[in-house]
Amino acid sequence: MLNRLLLLSAALLLCAAQARAEYTFFTPEGAFAVEVSLENPGPRLRLPIYRNRITSLAAQGDWAIGGTTAQEGLSPFLFAVSLSAQELKVAHDLTADIPGQRAIRSGFGRVGEALYAGTIAQGEGAGGHLIKTTFNGKEFAVEDLGIPLEGEGIFALTADPERRMLYGISFPHGKFFSYEIASARVKVFDETAITKEQHGYYHRYALTDEDVLSRALVVDKQGRVWGSRPVNRIFYYDPATDKLVTIEEELPTVWGRRPLGRADSWAVAPDGTIYGGNAGDGQLFRIDPVSLRVSNLGKPIMSPRMPGLAFGADGRLYGIAGALPGYAHFFVYNTASGDYIDLGNPRVPLIVPEVDSEFPWRGFQIATVTATRDGKYILLGEDESLSQLIVLPVDGAPAQQWP
Amino acid sequence: MRVITGIMLLVLAAIPAGISSAAEISADNIRFIEYPNFPDAHSTWGSIGYSSQHDKVFIGVTNHRDKVGLYEYDVAADNIRLLGFLPELAHLRPWQWQGKIHSRITEGPDGAMYFSTDGGESREEFLMNHPQGYNGGYFMRWDPAGNRFTNLGNGLRYESIKDITIDRLNGNLLGISYPQGHLLLYDQERNDVRDLGRVASDHIPRVLFSDKFGNMYYDDWRQRLVKYEHDTRQLLFNPDSVAMFANTPGYRIITGITGFAEDKQTGLIYLVTYSSKLIAFYPSRLGFGKMVDLGGVYDGDKAPYDYYCPNLSLGANGKLYYFIGGHGKYAIKDQTVLMEFDPQTRTKRIVLRFPLDTISEVTGHGVADSVGNLYFCGRRRAAGAVDVGESGASRPFMIIFNPTRAIDG
Repeated sequence: MLNRLLLLSAALLLCAAQARAEYTFFTPEGAFAVEVSLENPGPRLRLPIYRNRITSLAAQGDWAIGGTTAQEGLSPFLFAVSLSAQELKVAHDLTADIPGQRAIRSGFGRVGEALYAGTIAQGEGAGGHLIKTTFNGKEFAVEDLGIPLEGEGIFALTADPERRMLYGISFPHGKFFSYEIASARVKVFDETAITKEQHGYYHRYALTDEDVLSRALVVDKQGRVWGSRPVNRIFYYDPATDKLVTIEEELPTVWGRRPLGRADSWAVAPDGTIYGGNAGDGQLFRIDPVSLRVSNLGKPIMSPRMPGLAFGADGRLYGIAGALPGYAHFFVYNTASGDYIDLGNPRVPLIVPEVDSEFPWRGFQIATVTATRDGKYILLGEDESLSQLIVLPVDGAPAQQWP
Repeated sequence: MRVITGIMLLVLAAIPAGISSAAEISADNIRFIEYPNFPDAHSTWGSIGYSSQHDKVFIGVTNHRDKVGLYEYDVAADNIRLLGFLPELAHLRPWQWQGKIHSRITEGPDGAMYFSTDGGESREEFLMNHPQGYNGGYFMRWDPAGNRFTNLGNGLRYESIKDITIDRLNGNLLGISYPQGHLLLYDQERNDVRDLGRVASDHIPRVLFSDKFGNMYYDDWRQRLVKYEHDTRQLLFNPDSVAMFANTPGYRIITGITGFAEDKQTGLIYLVTYSSKLIAFYPSRLGFGKMVDLGGVYDGDKAPYDYYCPNLSLGANGKLYYFIGGHGKYAIKDQTVLMEFDPQTRTKRIVLRFPLDTISEVTGHGVADSVGNLYFCGRRRAAGAVDVGESGASRPFMIIFNPTRAIDG
């Protein structure tokens, strides 16, 4: 192990020299990447090219559970990575359960030991399915819960484990829906859907449905479900009244760029405060759960997008800022002091079992961020043609500006 | 006007013990040519290619900041001339600055020369939409028949195009972007760039190559060949890695292939890797052909994978020639060595040695004319260029080497 670490240190030092750049990579001890995808892998278990964008991700004990998005005409996977073995152990082609699906891009909602997700089907007009999946350490069991909205895929999903409810955003129309697990009853709310006038408005900016729908939903401590709706608005669903409420304040904007606003990611702090990332310009924002005041917390880097947020065991908020045409920066936000620390483009050793020393691996495009249940590790799911899983220990994050 | 300057070569005579000398190759076999009308020229980066239709060599020379000169060497006339600088030739505005041509300059089936551009400095990778940031690299074309330049357009925003290769049958280009390592397919007929996705990470391989069947090749992070197959228009991955020494560090493997040279008679392609292996690759129309491990590029006192060789060429005598050294890594302290490798006997020897103020680094892949001259991009250490660009202070020049006869100059 010591030899391995020494080799890695030497390799990273040499690579830094090779790159000739004025920076240091954030590579804390214990960080690693798992090779989830490799085309033509021979005897190794890997996901094939163009079917592996890690668009849904959850941590479950020693396991990272992923759901992928594939190119049109190809089907997605569920997969399981053992974090202790640092290896992909199970890949489950969703075609075996539900043919004709292209994406599991909704994110997972957890109720008990089950994970729920939604799919997007191949082609226009085919409905996406709600799925329930359980993983027993060896294989996935997938239950098809049907198509909640005829002709609509499922763009985003979250779960309220206490109420045993699922909540989603449909695609392409952007309708909000609830699903009662016990009864399989679906209720659809049209208020969040993109109107004809809004389509015209977005057309002026060459924005499509996929660019403007709420990319994520979250349930707060009161059971309210938070998301965004066109144009640049924030809503919540209140289970107490079974109504949608669009709050007065909008997502924070950069002047002139309001059409770009939508919720890219959410995280609820231990004290119940709601944090969100705005895709439009990559601002972090906070919603006071009582006053419903929206605070613009600024942005850690210059790029748009904030595709993932998760709280670590140290109480700080970790996230990814930036995406194409730029690339991801890993950052940490101290909710007490308001300090951001940009930890830069994540680079970690990629574990390749048959090679003696690790490959330095940079995560450029990240679709999903989650934390292990104990908050000790932050998991990043790549959004590439060949996507890997990146694991970063919270322990290694600096307490002050870095490097 | 002939503007060629032959310089007095400083060639070191001593040959290290254990390696046989090569008396038949001397300073008379090699010649250096300076680039005229570019006083702040800094370097060249594999940016050289030969036009068989026009019997000319083309070279991209940079100040390693924002000015790239395109040069033409007329073999028959023994004349070098500056064709122009990219900002003017390609109608680039200052915010579209290009740091270098990092790609090979490769001949298309239409007789035109194709290449791509690169940012080359830290501001490329990090500044992005800042006023000093990088707009992205371009595919470009120079047609020697009409002395006509065409900018074929941008690849990905903020991304360089480190290298390209060409489908010799239909003229399509395959490029690799930097820093994110996306394979880009430029379709000449449709004027379309298709992003085939990321196939590398961290330190991306800088070399692509093609075969006589129209297939184009790159390598992934496991140093496995990646092939864009002409007949099927599919991206294929070889299940096995290109040969490497035991215990080769991962950072070397991910950098992959650093040079290639083709035997035009047989279609056999020789490869050299960042982990210092020579490989004979026998391409096939469909699927992957055979690969034969020819051994290391140098037998010295360092680890066998630790010799830096970013160039390769095949002489008319069937032997491979390559310079070892560059980026601070040398087989012999403070010297660049020119090696000869016989693929038949798998023997190698040093044929010439140079101090770093004569040659500090050499690039170029399989650039050979019809009479057996081999062409390389050379750099020499030059303290006077210390304030110019990254990657070390240097001055560039072109190298002509002929292993079988003396070169006039």
